[in-house]
Amino acid sequence: MKKKLSILLSLLFLLPVVSSLGGCSAKTQVLRVYNWEEYIDEGGKGSYGDDYLGLGKNAPSMIDDFEIWYEETYGERIRVEYSTFGTNEDLYNQLKLGDKYDLVCPSEYMIMKLAAEGMLEPLDKDFFDETNENNFYVNNVSPFIRNVFKNGEMNVPEEKEVDGKKVTEQKTVLWEDYAAGYMWGTTGLVYNPEGVSEEDLSQGWKIMLDSNFRKKVTTKDNVRDSYFVGLGIVYRDELLSLDKNADDYNANVTDIFNRTDTETVKKVQDTLLAMKNNIFGFETDTGKSDMVKGTILLNFAWSGDAVYAMDEAENQDVYLNFHIPEEGANLFFDGWVMPKGASKKEAQAFINFMSRPDNAVRNSYYIGYTSVIAGKEMFEYACDVYSAENEEQSIPYDVSYFFGEDAIIYADEEQLSRQLFAQYPPEDTMKRCAVMSYYGTQEERINELWTQVKGEKLDGWAIAVITVAIVVIALAILYWKLGRKIEFRLKPRKGYRLTDQKEIR
Amino acid sequence: MKLRFSRKTLCIPYAVFLLFFVIAPMLVIVFYAFTDKNNHVSFTNFLQFFSDPMKLSTIVYSVVIALITTVICLLIAYPVACILARSKMKRKHIILLLFVTPMWINFVLRVNAIRELINWIGLLGETNYANTVFGMVYDFLPFMILPLYTTISKIDNSLYEASADLGANAATTFFRVTLPLSFSGIISGITMVFLPSMTNYVVSDMLGNSKITIIGKFIETYFGTDWHMGSMIALILLLVVLVTSVLTGGFKSEESVRGANL
Repeated sequence: MKKKLSILLSLLFLLPVVSSLGGCSAKTQVLRVYNWEEYIDEGGKGSYGDDYLGLGKNAPSMIDDFEIWYEETYGERIRVEYSTFGTNEDLYNQLKLGDKYDLVCPSEYMIMKLAAEGMLEPLDKDFFDETNENNFYVNNVSPFIRNVFKNGEMNVPEEKEVDGKKVTEQKTVLWEDYAAGYMWGTTGLVYNPEGVSEEDLSQGWKIMLDSNFRKKVTTKDNVRDSYFVGLGIVYRDELLSLDKNADDYNANVTDIFNRTDTETVKKVQDTLLAMKNNIFGFETDTGKSDMVKGTILLNFAWSGDAVYAMDEAENQDVYLNFHIPEEGANLFFDGWVMPKGASKKEAQAFINFMSRPDNAVRNSYYIGYTSVIAGKEMFEYACDVYSAENEEQSIPYDVSYFFGEDAIIYADEEQLSRQLFAQYPPEDTMKRCAVMSYYGTQEERINELWTQVKGEKLDGWAIAVITVAIVVIALAILYWKLGRKIEFRLKPRKGYRLTDQKEIR
Repeated sequence: MKLRFSRKTLCIPYAVFLLFFVIAPMLVIVFYAFTDKNNHVSFTNFLQFFSDPMKLSTIVYSVVIALITTVICLLIAYPVACILARSKMKRKHIILLLFVTPMWINFVLRVNAIRELINWIGLLGETNYANTVFGMVYDFLPFMILPLYTTISKIDNSLYEASADLGANAATTFFRVTLPLSFSGIISGITMVFLPSMTNYVVSDMLGNSKITIIGKFIETYFGTDWHMGSMIALILLLVVLVTSVLTGGFKSEESVRGANL
């Protein structure tokens, strides 16, 4: 009886294994996507499907929808294995450790780093075929972003045969050859107009050093953003003296914000050390709430976060603004790239599905960042969010550089320095926004700068005194312990006996 | 077939756990610490650490913060534990519970609450160092109180009676009976507070506005960019921990006090 039962049981355990082997037929593809945390419409409460379509907590996630769409379009079943990372460096380390993904979504500098190390697959030519109506990316991406990706250059290693020997050479390629954009934004300052005047703001990034705002301003607790601010302060005069109407204005700004020579690094380091004494602190996510509470007046922010902070503040009747300094700011983007060995067809289908304008609307509603997609639905959504209620008092806001011809949003005047400004800065502002490339060979030196800025500097004598003190304490403990052995081991008086020496010590 | 469970077989799960989650990771850290980017054996990380005044002073700084935290914790916890353990109050376990309850609330939430409190007083951003120490003390106090309470309450009451009978006053009783017998509690308390407060950078980030950097934060930062240096710092911290453990005697397996078997 027992035997029968055990056989039955083991069969039962085998059942799911067998069924999964039989049921899925060889056709189910797996697509491994690795994305930022909370960086896709995950459906449910508070998602676009809930708030706009009234689907409640049953609002589908983008991933489920992709699986359905893929089967309908290509007649093959696909299953997405979706996982998330917290920082670009996490992603890099996971890839280095040998994790296999078909599609990942790092920031621009990490794309360059991955490319330089030969870890990426290029996008197919077909991906840019505008006649294919399923190529949503190329048909809907904003001309502005397309242009950025067409002009951006990076290096990839290429194996060549020279005189019968294999040699690896660096080849220059365009970003567009390898990456498709997802979300983008700029850096800037969120400020409270009640405590910060136009004049204060005209100092640009230098406001971080202004003693009037001592302990009233924060910056980001990471090396790249801080380095950028440092560059803005060090080269402020040079940046302001550039001819803003020149054709190569943006190129010149980009050039300055990509300086990594040793002298520059030293200057930036000194600036950041001076800044550390003046600012309220470095933060990663406390800045938003500190702004709303009024603890600080200015906060270095990524535009998507800035929009979120302004929305949150408005709920509590605090009105914050966003400012992009005159010197220039950082234009950043997160883009889809395929690691070596990826299933390219499926991965590119995923990019395209994410780029379908209605899906881009869903994603940017969920995430709060600005999508690179411009299509009709996206523009309608932007109008829906930002159009003034009272048309007579509205001001035309030109976003044609992003959405194409005649794209004008009639918005409230205050939006010129609030959410709309942060999400779609005007064209002339975008001219001073520069992409900061991967530091390349200087990466180590600049990371070292961060150590020097963040570390606790003690004077030589202080280290010596403390070390001596610690050693003295250590010796004292040792002495005491040795002494204790003699002193505290009270000898038993006459007639008594210690039962166990060890237990009493 | 009959399975026999001897003591040894019962140890296997833990031994496996130890091997995979304690010893193996440690070896990986040692490997990373003494290799460079191309996985060649190298001592550059080691040399770099000891030739960089910033890293050295940061580790010294962390030790000082941890030391201050431990001393304050001990000064607060010892009297509390003493009073609680020896009082004849009926519901003293409720008071003990009050000390321990915060441990059941999420740590990040507690630190956030403290941050709000300090902000409300107006000291956030002004006294970063003191805020950090305060946060650490608040966070680790239960870890000091609990072992002290346990050891002190285990001391046989007859010892106090004997001490009183022999004419010792309160002070003498404390120094000759309570203190020596609660020594193991003090040591485990110190170990539980000193070591984590060198690495608990959430507190220094939140309450010191990331302007206070302790060695744990460095390890975190380096593990973003350079695992080899990160591992080296982790290894050096391990050494500091080891030295402290040896010094405080936490290394010896000490049975908690059973009372003197006179």
